[in-house]
Amino acid sequence: MTAPVRELRVETAEAVIERAEIAAGHDGAAELALSIRYENGVVGQVVLDPDTGFSVMRACGAADLNGLIGRSWREVSKGLSNV
Amino acid sequence: MYDLLIKGGRVVDGTGAPAFAADVAVNAGRIAAVGADLGEAKRVIDAKGQVVAPGFIDPHTHFDVQLLWDGAAKPALEHGITSVVPGNCSLSLAPLKAKDRKTLVGMFQQIEEMPPAAFTDAFEWTWEDFAGYRAALEKGLAINVAPLVGHSVIRLWVMGPNANQRAARPDEVKAMQDLLRECLQAGAVGLSTSFVDVDEKARPVPSRFADFAELDALSAVLGEFGRMLQIVPEFYDADITIARIDQLAELSLKHGIPTTFSPVFDSRFAPNAAPRQLARVEEQFARGARVWPQMQTRPIDISFSLLRPSLFFARLPSWMRTLRQPLPERLAALRDAEAVERLIADAGPDGGEAIFGSLVARGGDALPAELAGLTLGEIAKARGETPASALISLSLERGLDVAFIAANRGHEDTGRIGPMLASPHVHIGASDGGAHIASFATYGDTGYLFSEFVRKAGAMTLEQAVKKITSETADIWRIKDRGTLKEGFAADIVVFDPDAIGRGEEHAVFDMPGDGMRYVRGSIGVDTVVVNGEIAWAKGAYTDAKAGEICGLA
Repeated sequence: MTAPVRELRVETAEAVIERAEIAAGHDGAAELALSIRYENGVVGQVVLDPDTGFSVMRACGAADLNGLIGRSWREVSKGLSNV
Repeated sequence: MYDLLIKGGRVVDGTGAPAFAADVAVNAGRIAAVGADLGEAKRVIDAKGQVVAPGFIDPHTHFDVQLLWDGAAKPALEHGITSVVPGNCSLSLAPLKAKDRKTLVGMFQQIEEMPPAAFTDAFEWTWEDFAGYRAALEKGLAINVAPLVGHSVIRLWVMGPNANQRAARPDEVKAMQDLLRECLQAGAVGLSTSFVDVDEKARPVPSRFADFAELDALSAVLGEFGRMLQIVPEFYDADITIARIDQLAELSLKHGIPTTFSPVFDSRFAPNAAPRQLARVEEQFARGARVWPQMQTRPIDISFSLLRPSLFFARLPSWMRTLRQPLPERLAALRDAEAVERLIADAGPDGGEAIFGSLVARGGDALPAELAGLTLGEIAKARGETPASALISLSLERGLDVAFIAANRGHEDTGRIGPMLASPHVHIGASDGGAHIASFATYGDTGYLFSEFVRKAGAMTLEQAVKKITSETADIWRIKDRGTLKEGFAADIVVFDPDAIGRGEEHAVFDMPGDGMRYVRGSIGVDTVVVNGEIAWAKGAYTDAKAGEICGLA
C-alpha cells in the first residue's frame, strides 16, 4: 500500500511543464513559452529563445510540444545547462 | 515676414489640449507664432483638412551607424519622427578606442543585422571619444538626435578584453565614472545598459558583467546631470523584470534620475506578465521613483525560412525532425517524394491550409519579386498545390532561401494593449528603429498608433496620442524646447491627415551599404515633416534639408 503513495508523492512534489506554446520573440524568431507548475502549486511562465528551446526539447526527448507536457523541470534544466 | 507658414490646419499642440484651428509661423528654425492672421511668409504650406502637430520623438532606436551616411534615418523621418534616441541596449559608437572597433562591430551586427560594409565603406571612422562621434554625426543630420552612451563600450574602453569577463575593480569603476561624465558633458542624453544582449558569437555583451555597485556608481554620475538610465531587463521572465523595476526605482530615488526599461510585451501565453509589471511601475511611481516602461505599438510577427530550424514547426513532429537535420540531409529529405508525402499528410487533411495558408512570402531573398506579399495559400492555389506542398516546393526551387512571416503572433491584442498604452505611466517607444533590419521592419509604429489605437479602437484621443509621442517623451528624456507647438520651441512639425495616417506594407529594399537588404515600411497620410524649420519631407519625397541637430537638454 505504501509504494504507490510514495510514487504519487514523488510525482506531485516535482515541478513540471504544464503547458507549452510557440510565442513570437522580440526579434521575430519563434520561441518556446513554457508554463511550469511548481511544487507549491504556483504556475510560472518562462519564454526560451530558439537555441534554448531546441536544447530543452532535446533534453526532454520531445518530438513536439505535446512531448513536453508533464516533463519535470529538472529535465528542462538539463536543456538549459546544455545551451 | 516669416520663413514658413503652415496655414489652415487643426493644431494639436502636443500638450494634450483639444485641437484648435490655427496657423503656425516659423522663423529661424523656431516656432514664431501659433494663431490666426499671422501675416506673410516666404513659403506657405496649405494644411487644410490636416492636423499640424509637433514632430514625433522615438526614444528607442539603433540608428547609430545609419545616421553617419543617412542623416534622415530613413524611413523614420517620413513617418513624422523628427528626433530619435540611438545608443540603446548598452551599445553606442563612442567612446571607443580604434583597436576595439572590430569588437563593437560584432555586437552591432548582431543587433542591427547590418552588412559589414556598413561599418567599413559608408563612413570614415575618425573619432574615439563621444565628442568626436557627435561632431561626425552633426555633419549631415536631417533628423534630430539625442544619443545615449552605451555601458558596454564604456566598459570596453576602461577594461579592454576583461570587459566581458568579470566585474570591475573599484579603480575601474572610478575610471568608468569619469568617462561617463565626459560623455554627458559632450551631450549624451543618458546611459544605456543591457542584461540580455549578446554579441555575434552569442557571448554576453560587457554590460552584463557589471555588478550592482558599478551600476549604482554610474547612476550617481547620471544624477549629477539628471540624465536617463535605460536598461533592457530579462523581459522573458516577468518576475526578474519586476525585480529590475524595483532596482531601477532604488536608483531613481537615490540619485534623482529618470529610468526606463524596454521592451514590455503583452502575451496571450502569459496574460498577467505585462499587467503585473505595469502594476509594480505604478507602485514605484507612487513612491516618487521614475521608472518608465517602454511599450511598442506594433504586433510581433514570427519570420522563418527552411534554411534554419525554427520552433514555428514545434507542433508538427515530422516537420521538426526533418527541418532540424543538417542542411544536406534536410535537402535530401525535402527532395524525397515519400518523405514529402508524409510531411504534407502531417500538415493536416486540409493540406496545411490552417497552419500555413496565411503565411506571407516576404521577398528580399530568392523569392521571385512578383510573389512577395502574397499568402502561401494564394501562391499554392496559383501553383495547383496545397500550402504544405507549396512551402516545400517553392523553398526547394530557391535553395531554401525564401522567408515567410506569420503575422500578429505576439503583442497583438488591441483590446488589451490599448488601455496599457494610454496609461500615464507607460512610455510609448521600443520601436527598435534601425535594428533587426534583415528580420522585420522597425518603422511605422507611430502611424500604427493612430490607425489602430486612436481610429480603430478608440483607446485614446488623437490629442492624447500626439502628447504621448511628443511632449511627454521630451519631458521624460528632458529634451529641451521640443515636443510642443509653442512659441520659441524648435520648429519640428508634422502635418498629417488624421483619417489616413498609418503604416505601409512591409517590403524589402536594398539600400544598405554593399547593397545590403532590409525590411522597411513607408508612411501613409503624412503630408509634410519639418525639422528645425526646414522642410525635410513633403508630398512623398525627401528634400535636401540637413537641419537636424543634437538635441539640447534641460
